[in-house]
Amino acid sequence: MWQEKLRIKKSNPIHGLYPFTKMWITLLYCICAMILSTITIDGYPVYMMASFLIIPVLAAATGVLKKISGVIKSIAIISLFIVLIQGILIKSDLILYSLNVFNLFNINFYTDSLQYGLVLAFSVLNMGCMVAWFFGATDNKELINAFEKRGMGPKASYVLLSTLQMIGVLQKSAKTIMSAQQARGVETEGNVFVRSKAFIPSMIPLILGSITNTEERVLTLESKGFLVKGEKTRLFDVKPNGKEPIALTIGILYAVAILIWRILLWVL
Amino acid sequence: MKEKKYSIKKDFTLLALLLIPIAVAINFAGGQLASLLKLPLYLDTIGTIFVAMLCGPWVGGLAGLITNLVLGIANPIYIPFAIVNVAVGLVTGYLARKGMFANWWKWIISMVIMALASIITAAPIVVLMFGGITSSGTSLITATLMATGAGIWGAVISTELVFTVLDRIISFGITYLILRVVPERTLIKFSLGAAYIKTKKTAETVEEVTEADEDVDNL
Amino acid sequence: MGVVIEFKNVTYTYPLTTEPAIKDINLSIEEGKFYGVIGENGSGKTTFCNVIRGFAPSFYKGELKGDVLINGLATTDYEEGQLALTIGYVFQNPFNQISGVKETVFEEVAFGLENFGVPVDEIERRVIDIMELTDITHLAEKNPFELSGGQQQRAALASIIVLEPDILVIDEPTSQLDPEGTESVFKIIAAMKKAKKTIILVEHKVDLIAEYADEILVFEKGHIIKRGITQDVLSDMSLLEHGVQLPQMARVGSELIKRGVKLDYIPVTTKQATEQLQQLLGKESK
Ligand SMILES: Nc1ncnc2c1ncn2[C@@H]1O[C@H](COP(=O)(O)OP(=O)(O)O)[C@@H](O)[C@H]1O
Ligand SMILES: [Mg+2]
Repeated sequence: MWQEKLRIKKSNPIHGLYPFTKMWITLLYCICAMILSTITIDGYPVYMMASFLIIPVLAAATGVLKKISGVIKSIAIISLFIVLIQGILIKSDLILYSLNVFNLFNINFYTDSLQYGLVLAFSVLNMGCMVAWFFGATDNKELINAFEKRGMGPKASYVLLSTLQMIGVLQKSAKTIMSAQQARGVETEGNVFVRSKAFIPSMIPLILGSITNTEERVLTLESKGFLVKGEKTRLFDVKPNGKEPIALTIGILYAVAILIWRILLWVL
Repeated sequence: MKEKKYSIKKDFTLLALLLIPIAVAINFAGGQLASLLKLPLYLDTIGTIFVAMLCGPWVGGLAGLITNLVLGIANPIYIPFAIVNVAVGLVTGYLARKGMFANWWKWIISMVIMALASIITAAPIVVLMFGGITSSGTSLITATLMATGAGIWGAVISTELVFTVLDRIISFGITYLILRVVPERTLIKFSLGAAYIKTKKTAETVEEVTEADEDVDNL
Repeated sequence: MGVVIEFKNVTYTYPLTTEPAIKDINLSIEEGKFYGVIGENGSGKTTFCNVIRGFAPSFYKGELKGDVLINGLATTDYEEGQLALTIGYVFQNPFNQISGVKETVFEEVAFGLENFGVPVDEIERRVIDIMELTDITHLAEKNPFELSGGQQQRAALASIIVLEPDILVIDEPTSQLDPEGTESVFKIIAAMKKAKKTIILVEHKVDLIAEYADEILVFEKGHIIKRGITQDVLSDMSLLEHGVQLPQMARVGSELIKRGVKLDYIPVTTKQATEQLQQLLGKESK
């Protein structure tokens, strides 16, 4: 009954896919994006750019669009800069467009560089956002459990899980410390040096404390049989939701179609 | 024979493993601090350096890897840069084993080696994957250099050079501060911890420091 | 009764120190008995526990002289980790006894059983039983980090007891707890005594030790300066000079004797004291 209770319930069929299925889909998508980047119209990676639209649609269908929209935005900004830097700062023979600024100087967009910049930017955008979708749709606990069942050792899974938990706790306590310090009027505004001077002394005891705790944690783990020889069991168990074959089939069909297209373009 | 003194398996004691989450947390806090204070630095390898200095290259490298994987869950841009953080861990750990943190001039050499390792791993990612852009404010400087006619490699490498060296100096400084205050009875439990106890007590004379240095090798 | 733990000329020195933390200890711990360990701070009680469990020297390093035998085998000869099957160890600080990877108290208590490879159905059964015994059933779905000190210590006890070790080593489990928390922890320890576990309990609260312990070991500066039946040890007023606290009842009793009141023996528990008092009152009324 508890085993059932601990399971993470996901009613959305895509959201509830087994972690490895989602991982394969992510991988296939990224490979396809790279293949698409080689199919261009007038030198522009139009198909790869268009394929990006799949991600928001997929994320919406998975019910995680809102969750990952912040990441998508920040990757999009980086991608935009990649295009600008490449297109403007890397000189090549052909000028696509020249922007005249107050009759003082020209900002030139170079065709080749812009095209290359678009390939780079949309590679980053496609892969980054797809991976973001993967992590958005997969709970860390599920992923680690799935890896464990594929033979990842208990020490590795312990380190990953406790890292994630510690980061979570840290984020929470950082927020409370910050607001507490603000409430007490401790300098969190002001110039860089004032702020770091307030911050670093409060960090060191925190770090020392956690190192000392680690020692006791080691003994605790040993007492709870962490190093006992033999197979371990797991209460938490991630299970497939049954839709995996369909999802994988769709993913593979998409990949095969793109691959055939690519090959046909070469051959013809 | 000399290499055999360290085995990967022996490096990964339970204590060393449990230090990894703390190292990641320190990296994380440092990174947050840097972005909060709008510093043109990352400060996200302090924990990696710390754990590598105590537990050697393999544990250090793993801490670096996990840091960027965990950061990558929130923003996948960090994932390719895992190589850099792993390199920091491996190189620092190796230097620590060789007693390269025993006195001030060895510290300086170590910092340069470390910064080089970071640049060698980071520059190709920045140039080839991201076209010269990183999420840090230093990208503006890279862009300026490129605008004044520098090639993309030259611009990225020279920007990284300045800020990585600065980053390493600060990170080492903080690591050193922490190591100084870790109780000796705790230090002794880490594979490389003994070295910092000896230097603590005998830092006055260089001769004795070199002695401590040899002890690291004899462990 | 069989001997489960044996110390033969055991001296242990921590690394970086010159003075041994425990010295020349010869001792046999018998199966099913409850040993109370008392002594001043820094007298070596925790070290004694760590030596039993083998953490000294395996974790603390340092130098162990002599033999510590658990069921006839030296602690240093056990395979790494295997002593967890025989000895359950509960620590002083409740906050650091959390695995750090579990999100509910239920899973936290189950953690050790998972490590032992116990089948899932059996884990559920055993955890539910133990949570009942330790009175944490209502906390099952809480995050272990969010418990109070007393609750955490009960959860810590639960997660060790659920492993059903033959020997329990418990180091000052109540030092950071309020009276209420202390009482609930002692209830659990009493249940373990009933279950015929061999128990070694370090505890400053001698009044409680007096109630439960079969025998007492008194530490001073790394030596065991006195040992024996609880009644005998805790009524020995000379221990007061060694900085050892003695039960309230014993001090009152001995004071009464000094002042000429005729008691059969020095009481160490409230129960004994009431008995004696009743006897005394009975005599008077005759
Ligand atoms: N890790 C350690 N390293 C060095 N000395 C220690 C360590 N732990 C305890 N000691 C010393 O060993 C002695 C016994 O300590 P301990 O066993 O903790 O006493 P108690 O539990 O009775 O208070 C003390 O002098 C203490 O300072
Ligand atoms: Mg103690």
